[in-house]
Amino acid sequence: MTEAIRHLELPLSEAQARDLRLGEVVTVSGLVFTGRSRFHIRAVEQDLLPPIDFAALNCFFHVGPVMRETPGGWEVVSIEPTSSIRFERYGGAVVRKLGLRTLIGKTTMGPGTARALAEVGAVHLSKIGVCGNLLRPQVRRVVEVHFLEELGRTEATWVFEVERFGPFFVDMDACGGNYFADQDARGRERLVSVYEELGIPADFTYTEVNP
Amino acid sequence: MISRETIASAMYEATRLAATNLPPDVEAALVAALAEETEPLARAHLKESLENARRAAGGDGLVCADTGFPLFFVTAGSHARVEGGFGALQDAAREATARATADSFLRPTMVDPLTRANPGDNLGPGMPKVELRFVGEGDGLEIIAAPKGGGSEIFGTSYRMMYPADGEAGVLKFVIDAIRDGCYAGKICPPAIVGVGIGGTADLCMKLAKEAALLRTVRRAHPDPRVAEIERRLYAAARALGIGPMGAAGVNAVLAVHVETAMTHTAALPVAVNAQCLVGRRWRAIIASDGQVRFTGELP
Repeated sequence: MTEAIRHLELPLSEAQARDLRLGEVVTVSGLVFTGRSRFHIRAVEQDLLPPIDFAALNCFFHVGPVMRETPGGWEVVSIEPTSSIRFERYGGAVVRKLGLRTLIGKTTMGPGTARALAEVGAVHLSKIGVCGNLLRPQVRRVVEVHFLEELGRTEATWVFEVERFGPFFVDMDACGGNYFADQDARGRERLVSVYEELGIPADFTYTEVNP
Repeated sequence: MISRETIASAMYEATRLAATNLPPDVEAALVAALAEETEPLARAHLKESLENARRAAGGDGLVCADTGFPLFFVTAGSHARVEGGFGALQDAAREATARATADSFLRPTMVDPLTRANPGDNLGPGMPKVELRFVGEGDGLEIIAAPKGGGSEIFGTSYRMMYPADGEAGVLKFVIDAIRDGCYAGKICPPAIVGVGIGGTADLCMKLAKEAALLRTVRRAHPDPRVAEIERRLYAAARALGIGPMGAAGVNAVLAVHVETAMTHTAALPVAVNAQCLVGRRWRAIIASDGQVRFTGELP
């Protein structure tokens, strides 16, 4: 991980996205939209999308924010990125369909999304620590909300204007690379000695009772 | 006689405190983990998380926005008397959960599993979940509010019915594989508090794992030395995986491994794993028979 933080303006250009390296630490400024499982399922299965110009607003933030309604409008109470890996079934399709350039979430995504990111020229950014309260003041404005009645506050699509939002780190680059997959491969080598230390035979299998 | 109103207000307050504070033993363990990690990303994950929690304790936000499943664990002395009878506990939990949700200490997260409809107040069949047990001859009540985050519950739950021939090797492999899978990419929000249940029926086994993760002081060894030895070995093994905070390269995949056991069938060896995330969200209300309530983040 590099110590320097790169401050990016949204929307990213394809060249900017392709220039980002695994492990690089960044913030983003501009407009982001939110969604979770329901957004993905509806977008792909039912072609139900919020009225957003995705060419101009193509940073998809995976989150279910805690929101409070006040006389002055909506306020963010806390905004904790959610696990993107849960959306893997639809990840690639949504990236291609909307031409997304930036995904932000927790954890990472799988090979299907990685292929779409490489194809479109886009990255996935993963959160650093539990950070919902640190991100909150970086949301400058709640711009609009879609599908609030149908989906409720957590699954609705919120549009936020953010400033120096982050930091996040690049866990999936635009070349198919994945920080966590690399990390997992190194861990797999260690597992041999961990099993040995625990007295688990290398050829251990569980008792099988099904044909 | 403890009034229903006292119980509802204690449940609300314990929920609010759980949602906005790190329990002292969890915070101390996170600080110790930070002192140990050397990789910049692993350190950054812990530093951000501790700073995030300090803000929550100062009245700015929540220790984590995914306040998850509203769970209450109630321990009653066998001479405790509750206004309206013990059935009032469920009503009090509903009232406390709805109020904590309206006040934004709980996120409206509970939905119908089939329609996915969200009532907006975290109430519905099975939720909030209240576990009641009777311990000792006392006349008071203790309530632990433990809103359980999604990451640790969704990605940190595993169960397998094994057989005596699978033995200790089977148990240890199952647990260490579950920890490795759960920690991948930070799914369960490591460093996790990992609860392990061995024995019982399927449901008792998972209950043991959940209570080992949620209701024990971090790293306080099991009183049975044989069980404590299994905890020690699994803890050491988890630290040798090369996985640190949030799945980054590092040492602290876990803050603790707690194991609980129950008698089981002579033909069976059930094992369950249930993880708690790094914020270890829980707070305890101690209600005396005269209605006096004391709150603490520490466990008995």
